[in-house]
Amino acid sequence: MNRLTRTVLSRLPLKIAPVRPLSVTIPKKHGDFEWEDPKSPEDVVNVVYQDRDGIEHKIAGKVGDNLMFLAHRHDIDIEGACEAALACCTCHVYVETEDEHWDLLEEPTEDEEDMLDMAPYLQENSRLGCQITLTKELEGLIVRLPSATRNFWVDGAKPEHH
Amino acid sequence: MIRSGIAIIGRRTAAALTEADMAASVKNASNFKSRLVEPSDQRDFRPIYLDAAATTPLDPRVFDKMLPYLTSYYGNPHSVSHAYGWQSEAAVEQAREQIASLINADPREIIFTSGATESNNIAVKGYSRFYKKKMNHIITSQIEHKCVLDSCRQLELNEGFEITYLKPQENGRINLEELEAAFRPDTGLVSIMAVNNEIGVMQDVEAIGKLCRKNKIRFHTDAAQAIGKTPIDVKKMNIDLMSLSGHKIYGPKGIGALYVSRKPRVRLDPIISGGGQERGLRSGTLPHNLAIGLGEACRIAQQEMAADAEHCRKLNERFRERISSLSHVTFNGDEEGGMSNILNLSFAAVEGESLLMSMSGVALSSGSACTSASLEPSYVLRAIGSDVDLAHSSIRFGLGRFTTEEEVDYTADKLVEHVNRLRDLSPLWDMLQEGIDLKSIQWGSHH
Repeated sequence: MNRLTRTVLSRLPLKIAPVRPLSVTIPKKHGDFEWEDPKSPEDVVNVVYQDRDGIEHKIAGKVGDNLMFLAHRHDIDIEGACEAALACCTCHVYVETEDEHWDLLEEPTEDEEDMLDMAPYLQENSRLGCQITLTKELEGLIVRLPSATRNFWVDGAKPEHH
Repeated sequence: MIRSGIAIIGRRTAAALTEADMAASVKNASNFKSRLVEPSDQRDFRPIYLDAAATTPLDPRVFDKMLPYLTSYYGNPHSVSHAYGWQSEAAVEQAREQIASLINADPREIIFTSGATESNNIAVKGYSRFYKKKMNHIITSQIEHKCVLDSCRQLELNEGFEITYLKPQENGRINLEELEAAFRPDTGLVSIMAVNNEIGVMQDVEAIGKLCRKNKIRFHTDAAQAIGKTPIDVKKMNIDLMSLSGHKIYGPKGIGALYVSRKPRVRLDPIISGGGQERGLRSGTLPHNLAIGLGEACRIAQQEMAADAEHCRKLNERFRERISSLSHVTFNGDEEGGMSNILNLSFAAVEGESLLMSMSGVALSSGSACTSASLEPSYVLRAIGSDVDLAHSSIRFGLGRFTTEEEVDYTADKLVEHVNRLRDLSPLWDMLQEGIDLKSIQWGSHH
């Protein structure tokens, strides 16, 4: 654009000069997909979350749901500090139904293994919740939350979702 | 006014101190010294150091590298918010790369510890506790370092594990068929040291690693005496866990490292809980100056490994040739394949402690330093089938980078002199010369 055009345009009132948004697609937040309900009964995947107090939450997710965001939707106590960016270990879960479902989960990537290394109370059946995507084969998956994450406070207080 | 007044007082007091007391202090010093050091030829007496298996002197190049991190770059390497921390961290990461390069590992696979003892503890106990639901059996050898044996015993007594202690052959090497026969479905870990610190025997680490990998069992090796002296390639040799020590390779004391494989990933239960440093496996502020020293020692060792090995081999040959006039000398260990820097010899009819006392001009040891407090003869020698009497009369010679030919010659000559002198005094020697089998004698005892 030459200098004359730029000067003219910048002096115009706003309703004539075009306002360009930053994004050209409809903005969508992380975890939005999990807030949609299953479209049909075939889509439903039932999972059970056992939280820190031992209470079982039976949740009906759907195929393609991220385990961590699904838990956030239903107010289950998984802390997801980095929001599935693979930069923390706060969504650490134990896969209780190891015999049925462990092999059906995708192999953890090296980055996930690195983050898992830093999680306290690691066990053999530990995974990061944000790396588990629900499929039909994972029907009946039971995951248990560990008693503390890396951000533990000894007085039992838990960080809020932000 | 006041300042000059104080200065005058200060100067006068300082002057008073210097003049009056200096004469007195000189007199005191000479009195003290003369009281302490008696014979004139004993002054400044320092024996020749021939105990390189116990520890090695700090290489001056390592010291040079460490010094700035003791005096100037004192930042905590885990301080991420300022240049002091960044400088220290950068140097520690460089040290990690140097260690990794020596053993063909990834720098992320190295964690710093306080020494090989801690590394062994973390490896044996940490691995077993993490995988305790899937494994219950550990295989190790009878000639391991005390820290490995004690860790295994702890697991056995307090945590219900079962341990198989393999007996080595007479030359100290572990029989691979015996090892394979000991495998069980619930075996999780094999821990066999690469080079033994008492008799210098080198195990076939590559073959053991291959065997373990084939049977999906993890392999841990204590390589404190091996790294920097013989090539170790953790990928080629299928090693999952490996302990390293700083002060065995001309580095500082108080630092070691543990190699923890990432592919296939090995998980450990940490022994020390804390802020999660070193991948959560070993919390605590790193002694960055020591870690940097270890890194530099590894870099030098990688460069000079072949030269050092040749140097020790020549010295070893020279020594053995010079004492060849002695008879009834037993070589403890593997004559063909053992490391030439550790030489363990037993002299029949000579008591080890008295021989050590006689060789006052040379620093030697009988058995390893960590067991020297106990009165029992070395358990390593016992495991390789050495006679109790011969075990009592064993001496360990440790050759190193800084050992000279003159030192070796002096030691050899003194050794021949004192062994002959002690044998002349010994009635057992007379009996041996006459051909009497000492084991057949019924020694009279007071019941």
